[in-house]
Amino acid sequence: MAEPVRQRYAEDVRVGDPLPGVALALPVYRLVMAAGATRDFTAIHHNDEVARANGAPAMYANAIFLQGMWERALRDYIGPGGTIRAIRGFRMARFTTVGGTVRVEGEVVATGHRDGRSVVEIELRTVDAGGVVTVGPGRAEVTLPGRP
Amino acid sequence: MTDPGWEAAWRPLVDRIGSDLDEPGVRFGPDPVEAGAIRRWLEPLEFDCALHRDAEAARAHGWPDVIAPYTAMWTFVLPAVWEPGERPTFEDGSRDAQPWRSVISDDVFPGAPPTSGMFGTGISIEFERPLHVGERAGSGPRRLLDCVPKETRVGRGAFVTFDRQMFADGGSGGGPEPICRVEAQLYLYDPAPGADHG
Repeated sequence: MAEPVRQRYAEDVRVGDPLPGVALALPVYRLVMAAGATRDFTAIHHNDEVARANGAPAMYANAIFLQGMWERALRDYIGPGGTIRAIRGFRMARFTTVGGTVRVEGEVVATGHRDGRSVVEIELRTVDAGGVVTVGPGRAEVTLPGRP
Repeated sequence: MTDPGWEAAWRPLVDRIGSDLDEPGVRFGPDPVEAGAIRRWLEPLEFDCALHRDAEAARAHGWPDVIAPYTAMWTFVLPAVWEPGERPTFEDGSRDAQPWRSVISDDVFPGAPPTSGMFGTGISIEFERPLHVGERAGSGPRRLLDCVPKETRVGRGAFVTFDRQMFADGGSGGGPEPICRVEAQLYLYDPAPGADHG
């Protein structure tokens, strides 16, 4: 069972800190759940034959779901008091295909202050079961509260 | 044998770089954000955060109600697959029949040659805030930033980059409030026989 999301404070963050990350098995079942949940019903995301006819090796995860994995990785790290200011460079270089376990990994690459808020930059990437980076690396900009 | 004509077919779209591709105004999604839709969105991600299910917790962090994940705005802006009064969604009963209208309507570019394949290649989003329960999400017109014809491992087509502002209606049908600006790149292509983009 997943731990409840805890609050992280700006004072606790250092450049180089790794994120706990997210790992999800990616069977057809989850891709079908993702199609219904995100409403991206494009056939390449749930139909191998259509995906192959379009040059992919198999059906693959849709972009909204993959962004959701990045957001979950961020939220699990920053906690409910943090905000997400930007996701940049979400580059889908490879298809994140069905099967295996897909992971989102990341680490803190910068900290600072902007507009009176504590800002943290986090590099993120999606890695497939074979260890290949399929999305990113990109960067997110988040804010964190200070310790009360 | 090469066919130089395929690149020229993209010229009408290349000529529109810098201009809006859609009519002015904000096009809203069919439904307001609902708690159940947020729960279902989180489900395949096994994503739990009180901000997305507990109004009291969300208010304690300064939000007016339960918020959707920031990146769920895509879902709430997508149009309906079918609406009352429309013709049947599928024109035949074949196994891989597709709807007559693409729900992901961002892949339709005026001036572009017809292509049968499309996938997103890159996205950057600058967020103002997430959507909250009761709001409807809308999108402004796309502005074409770039169009680069290119032959790749999967076929011939073009990388098309655009940006657009996305909005919320504030929950009371009020004026649109910006929630984020999106820059997205798609690859529109005709698949090459036997192509593979591993």
